Amino acid sequence: MSTYVPLFLLFIVAAVLAGALFTISTVLGPKNPTPEKMIPYECGSETTGGRFVKPSVKFYLTAILFVVFDIEAVLIYPWTVEFKNLGWIGLATMGSFILMLVVALLYVWKKGALEWEK
Amino acid sequence: MTVPLEYFVIVAAALFMTGAVGFLIRRNLLVLLMSIELMLNAVNLTLVAFNRQYVGGHAGQIFTFFIIAIAAAEAAVGLAIVLAFFRLRSTVRSDDADLLRN
Amino acid sequence: MNSGLFLGLSPLLVVSLGGLLLMVAEAFSKRRVDETSDDRDAGPSSELSLGTAVTLLAGAVFAAAIWFVGPEKLEGASSVAPWVIVDRFTLFFSFVLCLGGALAALLAGGYLPEHRLDRGEFYPLIIFSTVGAMILASAGDLLSLFLGLETMSLGVYAMVGFRRASLRSTEAAVKYFLLGSFAAALLLYGGALLYGATGHTDLAGIREAIANMQPGKGSNFALVITAAVLIIVGLAFKVSAVPFHMWTPDAYEGAPTPTTTYMAVAVKCAAFATMLRVLIGAFGEGGLESWAAGWPPVVALLAVLTMTVANLVAGQQESVKRMLAYSSIAHAGYVLVGVVATMRAGGDAQGSVMFYLLTYTVSTVGAFGALILMGSRGAEAVSYEDLAGVGKRHPAAGFAFSLFLLSLAGVPPTAGFFGKLYIVKASIGAGLYPLAIILLLNSVISAYYYLRVMVYMYMREPAPGAPIAKPMRSGYVATALVVAGVLVLVLGLWPTTSLQIAVEAALATR
Repeated sequence: MSTYVPLFLLFIVAAVLAGALFTISTVLGPKNPTPEKMIPYECGSETTGGRFVKPSVKFYLTAILFVVFDIEAVLIYPWTVEFKNLGWIGLATMGSFILMLVVALLYVWKKGALEWEK
Repeated sequence: MTVPLEYFVIVAAALFMTGAVGFLIRRNLLVLLMSIELMLNAVNLTLVAFNRQYVGGHAGQIFTFFIIAIAAAEAAVGLAIVLAFFRLRSTVRSDDADLLRN
Repeated sequence: MNSGLFLGLSPLLVVSLGGLLLMVAEAFSKRRVDETSDDRDAGPSSELSLGTAVTLLAGAVFAAAIWFVGPEKLEGASSVAPWVIVDRFTLFFSFVLCLGGALAALLAGGYLPEHRLDRGEFYPLIIFSTVGAMILASAGDLLSLFLGLETMSLGVYAMVGFRRASLRSTEAAVKYFLLGSFAAALLLYGGALLYGATGHTDLAGIREAIANMQPGKGSNFALVITAAVLIIVGLAFKVSAVPFHMWTPDAYEGAPTPTTTYMAVAVKCAAFATMLRVLIGAFGEGGLESWAAGWPPVVALLAVLTMTVANLVAGQQESVKRMLAYSSIAHAGYVLVGVVATMRAGGDAQGSVMFYLLTYTVSTVGAFGALILMGSRGAEAVSYEDLAGVGKRHPAAGFAFSLFLLSLAGVPPTAGFFGKLYIVKASIGAGLYPLAIILLLNSVISAYYYLRVMVYMYMREPAPGAPIAKPMRSGYVATALVVAGVLVLVLGLWPTTSLQIAVEAALATR
């Protein structure tokens, strides 16, 4: 248990420091709000639209493709750990695996699933 | 201090039951998808836990990698199907899938 | 690394590479459907259907070639065991699965353009699903079994929901997806527990570990029993055995008919292949194979329920497609009888199961194909009424449908008769008289709804003013029907050779 003491100390110090800085700036800082200051900050331009914006359904296709291609990386990790022992056969196997992913990507691309503007 | 194997297996069994019961009693298609994911993750936990018992072998852990990859593919297909259903029916309640019956 | 390995895997490799090439070719092809056009030959189906069928038949030819060379002579082919086992059992099922897939692809070549569904994605899906099914049939390890199962299922889920604009099709996909993944999760949890109890994921290792256990003693044996129950339930879902069949009629009815055909033949055959591998390969020892304390009574109960319930419900259907769905459930019940018989009658019973799956494949492809042929755009044949008088107006189509229905009903000299005969013989050989009698009674019930179709086709006239189903014209569908019809007759007239092949294939797993 004693090995974790520094970690807990770090948590406490971080919490105290953050809390203190926040409190000090709230107490000491000057406050004179105007209506102009209270509108949401959007890089100086006028704000438009409401708070809730439905994400475009285009995100859904990208998200699904991302999930599939992203998770394939999980199969590459074990290979990298054993890279030297597996040798050329391992490299060839992983090469064909990645080649198939490339073919899939090519297919997705040609099918227009990556086009943002249709 | 090591946690006994049984604890992992019991937690995994509880997770699996949560998923299975959720699958059987909930009516929201997205929750059903999540229940299936929960069941698959319970399987992963079981496999990894049992793998500790068989020192020198990695069958359980390798299996887990494949389950993670397949679960992602399954989720992608499942979401696409549920979305197609939502587009036509404007609902994700499984009770509303009632067109086909005897 | 050597040529034996590549030759041994050649059916899988040929089909996978062919699928990849077709997929890329389809993406780069200029052929796109114009939704408003009535030109049925403009879409991608006109090229891809034939390409898919040729690819899958090439897989079947390679499987047959290795059969004649002898898989045991291929050095190095065992280096991928137990993940992929190259034996005669695998080759037999590879052949049946490729044949079923190729015929379904031909049916799709006629059906998809006819019903304005002509998108090329269907064909890569059918090929990759078949690859999954072949891996499933050859898997000697729970890992590759799961990979094959999911590869097959994911493709089929998409194929069921292929008619995206139709609520029926999408709803069928939702139901099939949810219950299919639930079943896969149960199967997988069973596998995980089995790994915990035995320390093996390969079926042979599991079998050995179970044989060395003291039956009834220790928590490990309890784990094995729990795992066996979960795995049997998961497999029962996949072969759609009652009471785990609820998804089947809905998914079969809502899916486009070529998908239904594919599910009824390839998916079901692959599920039975893996059922044989698991029940005999993993649970074949340690008392689990006995009638007193093992899986046979459970499977026997499933078989009786499946046959009886499916046949009784099938008779009440008004939709011919739904009737054929229940009929395919009933056939799963007949096959389960053979699976039970393997516990005592061994190789003969397993051979009869495999022969039955072959005859069932050609008859079912034919029946669904004939149903596809009966309808055309805007005038699909769905109910019995739609078929009224078709036999007189279109004799060839009517004759084809009748032939396949007679085979499904088990009337000699068609393939279906010998399929049932050998299963009955095997179950009598195993001393399972009640099961044999229930099977025979059920065949009699089933004759009612098969003959009812023929009564409508030949002895009824459409009601005045009722919509009339008009048969479609398609060389692909006609080809598939001719091939299936010839096979039904060949298997019916000369059944012994193929039965011997099936028995030889069965012996490879014992």
